[in-house]
Amino acid sequence: MAEIAQTAHSRVIARRSSWGDLFRNEDWWAIWIGLGLIAVAVALFAADGNIKWIAVAPQKWSHLSDVTQQLKQHALQYAALFVLWSVSFGIGAAALGIKISRFLPAFLLVYLAAGSIYFLGLWDQAAHYNLEPPLVALGLGLLVSNTLGVPRWLDPGLRVEFYIKTGIVLLGASLPLTLIAWAGPVAIVQAAIVSLATFGVIYFAAVRLGLDRRLAATLGTGGAVCGVSGAIAVGGAVGAKKEEVSVAISLVVVWAIVMIFVLPLIARALNLSTGIAGAWIGTSEFADAAGLAAAQTYGGYAGNVPGIAGNPDAAVSAFTLMKVIGRDMWIGVWAFVLSLIATARWERTGIQSKSRAAEIWNRFPKFVLGFIVASAVVTLVARGFDYAAYKKEVVPALVAPLQAFRTWAFTFAFLSIGLTTRIREFASIGARPLVAFSIGVLVNVVLGFVLSTQVFNEFWNRLGQ
Amino acid sequence: MNQAASRSCLKCKYFNHAPADLEAALPGLSSLSSAYAAVRCDDGICAVHQRYVTASSVCPAFAYPVSRIRSMKLSHCAS
Repeated sequence: MAEIAQTAHSRVIARRSSWGDLFRNEDWWAIWIGLGLIAVAVALFAADGNIKWIAVAPQKWSHLSDVTQQLKQHALQYAALFVLWSVSFGIGAAALGIKISRFLPAFLLVYLAAGSIYFLGLWDQAAHYNLEPPLVALGLGLLVSNTLGVPRWLDPGLRVEFYIKTGIVLLGASLPLTLIAWAGPVAIVQAAIVSLATFGVIYFAAVRLGLDRRLAATLGTGGAVCGVSGAIAVGGAVGAKKEEVSVAISLVVVWAIVMIFVLPLIARALNLSTGIAGAWIGTSEFADAAGLAAAQTYGGYAGNVPGIAGNPDAAVSAFTLMKVIGRDMWIGVWAFVLSLIATARWERTGIQSKSRAAEIWNRFPKFVLGFIVASAVVTLVARGFDYAAYKKEVVPALVAPLQAFRTWAFTFAFLSIGLTTRIREFASIGARPLVAFSIGVLVNVVLGFVLSTQVFNEFWNRLGQ
Repeated sequence: MNQAASRSCLKCKYFNHAPADLEAALPGLSSLSSAYAAVRCDDGICAVHQRYVTASSVCPAFAYPVSRIRSMKLSHCAS
């Protein structure tokens, strides 16, 4: 039997290692799209050109007539941008098996709604009325999906992870590789402390409450490592029951959405700097998309809300370092170790699985590679410029247009979170999983806060400056 | 050996790892993650055990899909 499992596993590994994988999952497609846009931008920059024309974005406005004026003036650019995104995401979606004829109409609506929210966020009174684009996108999406309902034809266009991963690859272009090398180790240490503590608390609380160990592990990684992605990676690795995976997903989504609103609110009340708030959110939010919504919201407060210091982009940068480098990258290791323990120590399920170290690479979130390569490419391009020349030449012609692309991609994702979260469809959670997970959330938030504001505070503050 | 190797969940008629089906079966999966993500590998749902398992797993309830049985019969006849 062991031979059967081993041979079968080898076949799966061989299949997964093929070149076909490079076009089979959305992580790779996020890389191709993100790096493709960066490559074009760099090539044009090298030829004294730029991509500013197509990387169109709304500008600050005061009256509705300003919006009309901007739309009239840049109508062709907005249409071209739609075509660019449609072709990029459409090809990726088609390669993943989503019919392009179903993707495009849905994406058109996502684009129009995201554009409206992007414009709203640039109203000069937006900060006064707390109309931060991520919160508006999320709130509007949640309201629509849980009251009016979302027609099923929209589903193919609501690809939260596809958009957020593409945005993260593009984000790499605005983070110098030296910064990742400088901040990465600290992010890994802080994230490791919080991940291990949170996992331990959720796991042991769940077991003490009488829950199955596989559910306990699935809940633990959902809360400690990378949210729903962590839950499905470990749920599969340990062979959890289908309804246990559903329970973990429901708990992660509900808590993650609560945190999108709560964490920026508390950070704002405490006047945390953008770097520190980003690090805290990166340690304590579960999912990339949810955390980026919270971090981008907080970054938007800098310069608009009195008392909040730091660079607006520092919240997103600190979050990404903490979450992507500190937590997401290690999901394969968690899945491998827990599958070993499940196979060797836990009660049998009637299904025999074989743990292999290759799981670490198979489950590695490949988009992280795109993020690092993007950073390396732009760092290389900027190498010949001193700081003043970088600000004057590289930022407006290369970095800023890529930031505009990134903001679009993130807005598509934030809107899609709300529109895909249909609370009435969630699995019935049950009191014991709720209690175990919530205890872990509490520990995670408090420990993440202490480490970000007391232990590594000077470090994260420096990042924000 | 080859026959044994092909008796993993990946080849079993009770195993479903189609991303769209998984997203429909696990509400909330597409809200903050995705069945098309690298972290999922080829994991899927076993209809016999009602578990979410890796594609390389094996169990005594294995059964080939009908299409595979047909092709096996045809090749047997041909030989």
